[in-house]
Amino acid sequence: MSWLRIRELVRKEFIQLFSDKRNRVMMVIFPFIQMLIFGYVVNYDISNIRVAVLDDSKTYESRKLTDSFAGSKIFHITNNVADERQLTELLLREKVDMGIKIGHDFASVIRRGDTAPIQILVDGSMSNMASMRVAYTASVLDKFNREELRELYPMNMSYGKVDARIRTWYNPNLNSQYFFVPAIVAVLVMITSFILTSIAVIREKEDGTMEQLIVTPLKSYEFIIGKTIPYIILSLGQMAAVIVIAIYWFEIPLVGSVPLLFLATCLFLLSTLGIGLFISTISATQQQAMMTSFFFILPFFMLSGFVFPIANMPVVVQWLTYLNPLRFFLVILRVIFLKGVGFDVLWPQYLVLTILGTIVFTGAISRFKKRLD
Amino acid sequence: MNLLRLKAIIRKEFYHLIRDYRSLYLAFAIPLILIILFGYALSLDVDNVGTVFVDYDKSELSRDFIRKLGASPYFHVSGLLPQTKDAIDYLDHDRAKIVIVIPPDFMKSIRADREIQMQIIIDASDPTFGNIIRGYITAFTEQYNQKLLISFLNRQGMEQIKTPVDGRIRIWFNEDLESRNFIIPGIIAIIIMIVGAMMTSLIIAREYENGTMETIKSMPVRAGELLLGKAIPYFFIGLTDVLIAILLGQLLFGIVMKGNFWLMIASASLYLSVALSLGLWISNVTKSQLMANQIAILTTYLPSFLLSNFVFPIINMPKFLQLLTLFVPARYFIDILSGIYLRNLGFAYLWPSMLVLLIMFSLLTFFNYRLLKKEGL
Repeated sequence: MSWLRIRELVRKEFIQLFSDKRNRVMMVIFPFIQMLIFGYVVNYDISNIRVAVLDDSKTYESRKLTDSFAGSKIFHITNNVADERQLTELLLREKVDMGIKIGHDFASVIRRGDTAPIQILVDGSMSNMASMRVAYTASVLDKFNREELRELYPMNMSYGKVDARIRTWYNPNLNSQYFFVPAIVAVLVMITSFILTSIAVIREKEDGTMEQLIVTPLKSYEFIIGKTIPYIILSLGQMAAVIVIAIYWFEIPLVGSVPLLFLATCLFLLSTLGIGLFISTISATQQQAMMTSFFFILPFFMLSGFVFPIANMPVVVQWLTYLNPLRFFLVILRVIFLKGVGFDVLWPQYLVLTILGTIVFTGAISRFKKRLD
Repeated sequence: MNLLRLKAIIRKEFYHLIRDYRSLYLAFAIPLILIILFGYALSLDVDNVGTVFVDYDKSELSRDFIRKLGASPYFHVSGLLPQTKDAIDYLDHDRAKIVIVIPPDFMKSIRADREIQMQIIIDASDPTFGNIIRGYITAFTEQYNQKLLISFLNRQGMEQIKTPVDGRIRIWFNEDLESRNFIIPGIIAIIIMIVGAMMTSLIIAREYENGTMETIKSMPVRAGELLLGKAIPYFFIGLTDVLIAILLGQLLFGIVMKGNFWLMIASASLYLSVALSLGLWISNVTKSQLMANQIAILTTYLPSFLLSNFVFPIINMPKFLQLLTLFVPARYFIDILSGIYLRNLGFAYLWPSMLVLLIMFSLLTFFNYRLLKKEGL
């Protein structure tokens, strides 16, 4: 093994990467933009449910009902409509998320001591959002009912009831960014190392320079090392940059240890670089490499618990996620960022990452060497 | 425009595709994998949330509370533990999402008309999940309290008290509240971007990199013919993918289009044209496959996934991102898809979105044309 040859290959690779000014700009801007967009996009905090009201009753009671919706921070009454057609139209055009229809006999029924039905139409197209809307609607109605009963039957109302003291652990403010921003770091590293490594090799093939490299005294493992080192450096650099953004821009506390974070990244890179090399052995053109990368990236991304909770998946698929290095890397990142626990808790994740990485990387190398020799 | 020359370019691009059969496979495999993944594995709906109880009261009423909660489809009571400590352990090791602690004098307090605190701990490490669960549990306890109030009033001698208002909630457009019903149609928008824009982003850059652009320039081919010829093979791949997606959605997951099929095909073609011209434009501008590839991911795939109302509601985003979504073609197509698939809307409702796509397409084509003209084609 000659370090000189490796060094020269690394240098060549860097020159190739950075000689194009646009490429240089790209390498910097790409992670930044992704980080910023990702960081702000994922937000399921419900705070803005648009409601249209069709109030045929127009009484003190009906107004009180709509006020109790408007009074909660979550609902906003955006439209008051005169007939049902308008209500339907607003829902169809996605101008409102919910419609409330109060019948003309609403007040008289309540005053009589009977139950007055009101109709609530919920746009269910985004089902997860709709479920929350339904739950919040039920809360508002229950509260209204209790107040109404209190008014109808003025008496001592200290009845026995449950005072739910709900605490949200691990992320007390339910801040979406706390959960998603550390994960974005992982996804960025994955995309960079996957695609760039595979393309770095393919480019040699496409340009015909592979033949030239083969006739040089460069050994196949030197070639592999020389081709991967630049992307390890690049990925780690990107990683450092996005961590800085996470801390200073998104103000995510980094509670745990930074060296542990980088150790995990290196172990994760074993897998992704391995797959990148593997892709380069099975692709002939850059287009192929890009499509194949996507073929890998999509399931990695979807089955990692990044956006879609693993607990929601069917059991078979849950087992499948144990083969996904991103899954373990995400756990490590989130835990190190937010909980700050150390190796004593995270060692299983590190172990799995090491095992997966070693298998993938050695597999890829042996296949790659066969191709080269 | 000369049909013969156009045909020659199409044939050339077609051969590229056929000889590079793996890309072609993947152009069909990626949609398949996406549909199957999303259909079977991924769900944003929260139900059967693992709940553990610590019942210090062990009374008739506390058991009733547990039973009532377990009967709701949203919760699944997965354990009854003797100590709070054990329950927290469940939470720490991700074996439960909610811990509910019923205090020792629960029944006594309620019967004595006293308010009683109940400790509820939610695992909110996934805030999306945490938020939904909090909504569910709040709604549940409020409802429970309301029943207690009614029974209190009844005990006070006020027989047959009824709740004043009964909210009859009806869900529209996605009646069974399955996230699949809006995600699977949404995937069509992603697939078209991957196949239409990402694949084509390489095909003019490739000519520049291989030096064959010079050859093309020296031929009698005109800019329009080159663009059209490059796009047409991918147009057919894209359209086939759309059909596969529609068919699979219906066959495997029973997702039926409520609206008009031909309107769907027409708008998919329009959106596909936008994607193709966007890909070609990226290719034209960068002239390098690596650059094109990176920019394509950044400007086509990610925005269609993130900034399109696909799974992340635009209305929850900060203002500047909401403005940014106005430039994302997928946003308009997802709008159309939701209209056709879930709302059964016709052209009368969908034309504004289609118009925007048409404008995007015209602009991009104009840019492409001008760029190639400048190159001397």
